[in-house]
Amino acid sequence: MGENLLEVRRLSHTYTVNRHMTVKALDDVSFSINKGEIFGVVGESGCGKSTLARCVMNLLRPTAGEIFYQGINISDKKQVRANRPLLQTSRQLIFQDSVSGLNPRMRVADIIAEPMQLHRIRPPRGSYRAEAEFQMRHVGLDASYLDKYPPELSGGMRQRVAIARALSMEPSLLVADEPVASLDVSIQAQILNLFRHLQAEHGFTFLFIAHDLSVVKYLCDRVAVMISGKLVEVAPVAELFSDPRHPYTKALLSAMPIPDPRLERSRTPTVFDPAAAPLTGALTEVSPAHFVLTEGGAADA
Amino acid sequence: MSADGFRIVGMQPTPPKAHKKNRLRGKPVISAALLFLIVFGCMFAELLMTKDPTYMDLAHSRLPPDGEFLFGADTMGRDLFSMIWYGGRISLAIGFLSMAISAVIAVVVGTASGLAPKAADAALMRLTEILLSIPNLLLVILLQAILGKANVLSLSVVIGVTSWLSIAKVVRTEVQTLRGSEFILASRAMGGGFVHVLRRHLAPNFFPSIMFMMVMNVRSAMIAESTLSFMGLGLPVNVITWGSMLSLAQNALISGAWWMILIPGLFLITTLVCITNLGNYLRKSLNKGQRNL
Repeated sequence: MGENLLEVRRLSHTYTVNRHMTVKALDDVSFSINKGEIFGVVGESGCGKSTLARCVMNLLRPTAGEIFYQGINISDKKQVRANRPLLQTSRQLIFQDSVSGLNPRMRVADIIAEPMQLHRIRPPRGSYRAEAEFQMRHVGLDASYLDKYPPELSGGMRQRVAIARALSMEPSLLVADEPVASLDVSIQAQILNLFRHLQAEHGFTFLFIAHDLSVVKYLCDRVAVMISGKLVEVAPVAELFSDPRHPYTKALLSAMPIPDPRLERSRTPTVFDPAAAPLTGALTEVSPAHFVLTEGGAADA
Repeated sequence: MSADGFRIVGMQPTPPKAHKKNRLRGKPVISAALLFLIVFGCMFAELLMTKDPTYMDLAHSRLPPDGEFLFGADTMGRDLFSMIWYGGRISLAIGFLSMAISAVIAVVVGTASGLAPKAADAALMRLTEILLSIPNLLLVILLQAILGKANVLSLSVVIGVTSWLSIAKVVRTEVQTLRGSEFILASRAMGGGFVHVLRRHLAPNFFPSIMFMMVMNVRSAMIAESTLSFMGLGLPVNVITWGSMLSLAQNALISGAWWMILIPGLFLITTLVCITNLGNYLRKSLNKGQRNL
């Protein structure tokens, strides 16, 4: 497949808590993302989604496994060093918490221009300020916010600034670690629409991490489901929602609230029992492009 | 509902204020003005001086203030009025220079300690604590003795080198809370190196907390200089500073020449009080503006 932008092969990451304890945040995770695709990763808190994002961004070193980005092995120090400028400009990250994601003592204009200044890219629109203004208009902010500090903005505006900063580098891969989780629902919808619109316009590949299934359903092309560091199911979004195979995915889908109180009341959510479906085995293709973690027929339970 | 029961609800224009708010209210205007006068007087000492401050004339020894010698003359017959402006220059220079030296050392050590792995951080902090436990004056005297004969630069270096410890501890604590912030991670992911992160992200965030300490350091450096000069350990007697003027004045107490001790003392204390006032104001106003989310 020459279309792969990102390929993750048997990736593991272990946090050392102290001499006697370690936490396996990622355990033998493999997947690949095609160029121009919106790939969603869902899972409960603490299942390793953010660790995955940080490994992909080289902020954490994987304990085992490899990550290939545009054919460059980014888990290999030598290759990272040789391609550093490319890696730093073409991959961009958006954080969940827009409060700590932006320096409270920098003006919006400087925040957006920071990556450009770091890489000494000549601003195509004359000055860094003009460039920041252009990027801001792109994400739906007007020039009056250029001289504001992040604490003066609302959560949605701050997240727009973070998006503008990421997009100012024209990235080919955008990694967003729960970018809408800290926003309220109406602002979430605005930001999701913005993402959709920007992705259609720029055509970047998007690794979108979320814990909210409805958000993923709305935005993504393909979805991966994670639990305790394991990838249990990868499928195109429509297929995952219509035909979930893994018991955990089923439990997750059944936990989605239905916006009708009568139906919601009469419903009994499926509870995932880790003992009934041990998280071992390998991903197997059950139908085209639909992979499920299978061992001893657990997927059909 | 009757018409007279009708009330306007919702947004309403606020009534015009009765008094125009005084812009300078709550600001240390007097301190700023006095400090400004003293600093500029010292900077342009040549324009103010009525006599050569180094010229000794024993004929005028211990002359009380009069029309010619505005602040009187000292034991060696030098004009105190000229000496105040001329000597203040060196006193202030030592204050600011040693503040700058201590701030640079504190930022470097504090940031390094805050970002370093646990063992290195512990080593650096224990070292500063050991140094902190030694009385400051003792350390200053020891270093000055090693450096030999004091001059303005060596005295500033000695005072600066001994006064960075507490600032470094504050910087370290601030850096430790900041380094996990996502904006620092983001900057590193975008390719920001150590210097970039320190200059653009760390420094602007910890600066407000050390601002007050830096201003206070100017003050304590000036005190240290006058203490040393007073004890005869600082600058030689022929270099005029407020401290050396005070050190000469110890004989004046016996002879009743009050102007020799009162006038340099008054200038020194006024400057120190003004600096303290400004420092206090800075601390309050910087804390106010922060984190009102």
